[in-house]
Amino acid sequence: MAPTRTIKNKHAANKSGIVNSKAAASKKPVGDGVIKSRNKDGKKKPIPGSNVKGRPSFTDLAKKKKKRVYTAKELGIPELNMITPVGVTKPKGKKKGKVFVDDRESMSTILAIVQAEKEGQIESKMIKARQMEEIREARKIEAEKKDQERQARLEETKDVLRKKRKRKSHDGKGQDEDDKIIKDAVATSSNATKVKGNKKGGKKRVSFAAED
Amino acid sequence: MRPLDEAETKVVFDKLANYCSDLKSLIAPLDDGDRYVFRLNHSRVYYVRLSVANLATSIARDNLLSLGICLGKMTKTGKFRLHITALPILADNARYKIWVKDNGAMPFLYGSNICKAHVGRWSADCPEHQGVVVYNMNDVPLGFGVSARSTAEARRLDPTGIVCFRQADCGEYLRDEDALFASG
Repeated sequence: MAPTRTIKNKHAANKSGIVNSKAAASKKPVGDGVIKSRNKDGKKKPIPGSNVKGRPSFTDLAKKKKKRVYTAKELGIPELNMITPVGVTKPKGKKKGKVFVDDRESMSTILAIVQAEKEGQIESKMIKARQMEEIREARKIEAEKKDQERQARLEETKDVLRKKRKRKSHDGKGQDEDDKIIKDAVATSSNATKVKGNKKGGKKRVSFAAED
Repeated sequence: MRPLDEAETKVVFDKLANYCSDLKSLIAPLDDGDRYVFRLNHSRVYYVRLSVANLATSIARDNLLSLGICLGKMTKTGKFRLHITALPILADNARYKIWVKDNGAMPFLYGSNICKAHVGRWSADCPEHQGVVVYNMNDVPLGFGVSARSTAEARRLDPTGIVCFRQADCGEYLRDEDALFASG
């Protein structure tokens, strides 16, 4: 930035109250509030507070900044500030263009790598498939086992029922007894329904009072 | 026409390794001292004898329609697609095979996938999504595809279930006659 300084209160400089003061004596244009400093080549007015120890003055900083100016080339910054795709950047010291694979050695090297990779993939696939198969088999066996157990239980209950029936028949009652039992059961159930019917299902009778 | 670069070679071998068990025989030196090389012309990869490839350098690239065996095409995204023309190479050293019955040969040659009912027999221990070469029952290669199920799973499949997804079949020689060798 250009070292220009502005005085915010332009009257403050002139109305210092002292007639023979420096500000009054200087032949500067009064109307323009902007005062261009001549610090470039002339003496520079020390800025108040700049002499404080330990704090680098403005001039010092300016000097320091001016010390070394790097060009874009030196810094390795691209001339135009744009993104360069990865494929476009060419590494230094490398062969320009494609690297062809035409000799047997390099081709067989690539082939060996590819084949090893593929073998590994296939092997892992097979292992996975085998494991899945094992799990499926185990589940199947388990299901079969459960089914068998259920079947066995059913058979057992059936046998128990059959034995019960046989025992009754051995007692001498025979088939007639069974029939009787069944008939009784039917009768009781029908009675139950009858009772139910009498209670609820009976015809409602309505009688009217005789008119006089 | 130019040789493949490293990335392209890797991609091509990777694809071939899906179908072939032994790739070393592809680049092994021949009895007469010659060997096979891979060449790229108009994004198509050719498998050709070195002596033929050297001779072909005298033909302008635009005028060179095809040479050797066309393996497939490099896509613009850098992938490699195998063509049906690569079938003789794949069939010679296939890793996994499927033999289709006569009733399944025609549906396959017309471009459909292979269902379980059409399979005569298949290689054991074939994993899922692995390249397989399809033969008829007389061991004539018909095409290639990708297994839809592993062999164990396919056994439990119903007859209409698909066991192999078609990738290429010999019917393409007729169906894609115009596009098969035309470059561009």
